[in-house]
Formats: sequence, structure tokens, C-alpha cells
Amino acid sequence: MTTTTVHPPDQPTNPPLDPVSDRDLARTPAPSAPPPPGIPFARLIAVELRKMLDTRSGRWLLIAIGVVTIVVVGFVLFASRPQDLTLSTFVTGTATPQTLLLPLLGVLAVTSEWGQRTALVTFTLEPRRLRVMLAKLVGSIVLGTVAIGFAFLIATIGNGLGILLRNGDGSWALGAASIGGVVLSQLLWVAQGIGFGLLFGSTAVAIVSYLTLPTAWAIVGSMVTSLSTVSQWLDLSRAIEPLVAGQMTGISWAHLGVAAGLWVILPILVGSWRMMRREVK
Amino acid sequence: MDHMITVQNLTKRYGSFTAVDDISFTLSPGTVTGFLGPNGAGKSTAMRIMTGLTPPTSGTATILGKPYAELPNPGRQVGVLLDASAQHAGRTGREVLALGAMVMGLGKDRVDEMLDLVGLTPDEARRRLGHYSLGMRQRLGIAHALLGDPEVLVLDEPANGLDPQGIHWMRGLLKGFAEQGGTVLLSSHLLHEVEVVADQLILIGRGRIVRQGSKAELLAGSGTTANALDRDALVMALQHAGLAADVTPSGSVRSSATTEEVGRTALDAGLVLTELRGADGAGLEEMFLQLTSSDSREGAVA
Repeated sequence: MTTTTVHPPDQPTNPPLDPVSDRDLARTPAPSAPPPPGIPFARLIAVELRKMLDTRSGRWLLIAIGVVTIVVVGFVLFASRPQDLTLSTFVTGTATPQTLLLPLLGVLAVTSEWGQRTALVTFTLEPRRLRVMLAKLVGSIVLGTVAIGFAFLIATIGNGLGILLRNGDGSWALGAASIGGVVLSQLLWVAQGIGFGLLFGSTAVAIVSYLTLPTAWAIVGSMVTSLSTVSQWLDLSRAIEPLVAGQMTGISWAHLGVAAGLWVILPILVGSWRMMRREVK
Repeated sequence: MDHMITVQNLTKRYGSFTAVDDISFTLSPGTVTGFLGPNGAGKSTAMRIMTGLTPPTSGTATILGKPYAELPNPGRQVGVLLDASAQHAGRTGREVLALGAMVMGLGKDRVDEMLDLVGLTPDEARRRLGHYSLGMRQRLGIAHALLGDPEVLVLDEPANGLDPQGIHWMRGLLKGFAEQGGTVLLSSHLLHEVEVVADQLILIGRGRIVRQGSKAELLAGSGTTANALDRDALVMALQHAGLAADVTPSGSVRSSATTEEVGRTALDAGLVLTELRGADGAGLEEMFLQLTSSDSREGAVA
């Protein structure tokens, strides 16, 4: 039997790389150093925003949103009748692809943490997971707002080109209610993406559910007549229609509130509860 | 503060499987502790509980006197590396550190300092992690753990994937860290990997702490190895004298008694000894091998 020899202390006689110099470790504070202050929420938002932009998937998603927005405006510009070329037409045109793509911002912000297992690092640096979730929500709303702003800009350019190139109607009329409605509806979709991401935890499942569940529900609601009244309250895309059109009334706000509660708030609440308890591996 | 890490009666069950079974230990400042056990012994689970990632079934774990989740900016106090591969494959090494520095509120120069410290060249730091070898990921992970200039390091299998030079480098780094007053807990499934650098050892198998203590204590207090011309007579004489003794697979007599007790017993029995020495940690190694082999037969649970 061989004896286990106790090796002498490891002397850095032959340091292969940069040896541990005093410069590097001299900063180790005395164990009695006061604890550092907590992480400001604004900093967490900035970090989450950066994480949405520093990977290829995040960057390409934003590029795709930009490109699709430009393509749609180009399509509206040359495929519509000149008398239909108004700012309102262009804005409505940009809203459709953005409705599909913006929620992916929210989905990816949440699910990439689990898919790429970065949650391990994220939650060791900030164990208050709810703060991280809220930073992701605010961050994706900020990015969503930028994307919507870009859409308005491109729509405005489109309308200008409509006047110049196709002698279009060129009406700039766009009520404040309409603008607010478009912005709010898009941000609701972004928040829904966060909710679905939190709820399902995996990118594929969250995206498929996000694309199919509300649509399936809308189809059922429109086919079964007895469900028609119910679906006014529970179908988010139906409840959002008057919002985008700038025609909100008391009852339509109520419809929107209930539908958003079901499709946006509830997934966020249940998903957050799940994320708080989930074991990070 | 007396104890940098305090673990008390920590237990984690998954259904009927007990991953961590009532473990307790404390770590003092200025020490390196090796957390040793075969794969699936519960080391990683225990470390995840210590860092607030996994809720325990019962028991408590505190770092710097607080549950990890209550540290205001934990990266500035505790450096954690649990899995070097748990990083976004699409980010560059530098970006990973830059994000960490941003959360902790550190300047960009700290990122360069750490890249320099762990020996990642500017060119390597610009590469995406998908193209990193495991050794490079470990270096980056160690850089990430040291980023916030912490007082405590919790490292899960940091030597995995490092070449012998890298392991040598890491030992020097951890020793230096402890000499500056820092506290290190590092896990390994290889005794030799940590016994050089560790002051304290905690042996864990199937979720339970099998042995713990200072390295000197564990290596010294592990009995006697002896042999005699008439080996079986020596075993009988020892057992007759009420001392535990058996024959090892390599043909020596192993006893928990001291060398003096074994020598006297042999003298009284009139036996000629051919070998007599302290086991020098051989017992520790054997115990560790036993832990490893019995657990690997049963299939490790990660």
C-alpha cells in the first residue's frame, strides 16, 4: 500500500501564468468591512437592457422588428390606393408585425436565463428574484417603446413619401387616443410575453403558447355563439381592437381590464410565484 | 466575525431521496476548506443552498452572519462559481465580466484586471463562450467570482477541466486569497486535488458528512499500518488486546491503535514486526475511495 504523502505547501516556484501578485489580492478588505449598499433598481434595469442587446438572438430580434416595420410601410406605400395613404393607415400597418414580434422581447428576456442557465449567475448576484423580474419587465417595456417610436417614425416617413411619390391623401390626422391606444396595446403584448416566459420557462413552449393559445381561444369564441359574450371579456385581441382604433368606452375599458388581467397580469403573477420558488440549477 | 460560513443541520430532500442529510460545519476566516466527496454526494446541492439558489428542506446556512439572500450586494462579499458552463454561449468572456461588474457597481478597469489575473488574453476575452474550452470557462468563472473583491469564495469543482499547470496556478491563487484573510470553500471529487491547498477537509458521502477536521488531524489520526512475519498472529494478538485490526487488500495489517500500542502488543506476543508506521492519511484516502466506489456503483445522482 502506498502512503499518502503530505505535500509541502505549494510554492509558486514555477508560476505558469500570471502569479498571484499582491496587487491583485491586496484589495481584499478586512472581514469587518461594512457591507456594501444594495444594488439600485435603475442599475438592474440597465443590466437587463444590456443583456437583451448583447447576444445575437437579442440583436437579430430587434433588427428583424426594424426591417419588418420598414418592409410593411413600403408595402402599404405601394400597394394601397393613393386615397388610403394616411398616417393612420401606415401606423396600423406597422402595428401588425410588431404585435407578433415585440412579445418575443419579453419572452426571451426571461427564458434565456433558464435556457442558457445564466439564472445561476443572475440570482447569485441579486438573490431578490422579484427585483430581477421587474427589471426585465421595465427593460423590455423600454425596448418596446423604442420599437414603437421607430414604427411611428417610419410610418411618418411613409406618409410623407406617399404624398411625394403617389399623390396620396397624406392626412396627418392621428388622435391622441389612437396614439396612446397603439402604444398601450403594444406594451400589453410585451408584458404578456414576459408573463408567458415566466409561466412556461422555456422559449419554445412560451412562444408557441403565446402564438396559439389566445388565437385558439378567439376562434372558439367566435365559433360558439353562446361564448360570444364571454369572449368579449376574455379575448385580449378583441378587447384591444377599440383601444387601437381610439374608440374606448367605459364598457370596453372593462373588457380590456378583464382580458388583460387574464392574459397578462395572471401569467405574470403565477409565473413570478413560480420563478421565486424554482430551484436554480 | 468568527465564522464566515455557518451551516447548521442542513437537509434537502427530493421526494424520498435525501440529497443533503443533516450537515453542519463552520468556516473561519483565513482558511481553505476542501469539500470532498464523490459525484452525487450532495456537494453541489449544499453549495446551491448556501448561495440561496435552492431552498433547504430544513436547517440553515449563513454567510457572513446572514442568509445569502439577505446580503445587499452579494457579489461584493461572496465570490461564487457553481458551474462555469452556465453562461450564455453567445456572450464574449469580456461581456460576461462586464455584466457582472455592472451589477456589482464596479469600474471597467476591474474587468481587465481580472482577465489579466486569470490569464485570459484580450483575444480570448473577445471570443464567444461557445468557443471556450472547459479550462477557459473555469478561468473566466474564477475571474467572475473574484470580480467583486469578496471575503468569501464558494467554488464548485473549480479544478475541473484545468490542466495541471492551471490547477497549480489555482492552488497558489486560493492560498494567497486565504493568506489575505479570505475564506475559501471549494469542492472536489479528487482528494489529491485539494489536500495540498486545504487547511480543513469535509468528507461527504450520500449527503452525510463522514468526517471533518483540520487536514493535519485527519491525516495523522488515521491509525497504524503494520506487518509481521506471522501476519495472522499479529491480527489475533491485536484483537486479543482489544484493538481493532484487519488485513488490507495490499496485505498489511491496519489498526486504529497508535504505533506504540501495536509495537507493544507485538513485543508481548513475541512477534517479529516487518513494518510499523503511522497510516499517514492512507486511511483517509481509503475511506474516500470507499465512498467513491460504493456510490459510483449505485449510480450518482447529480
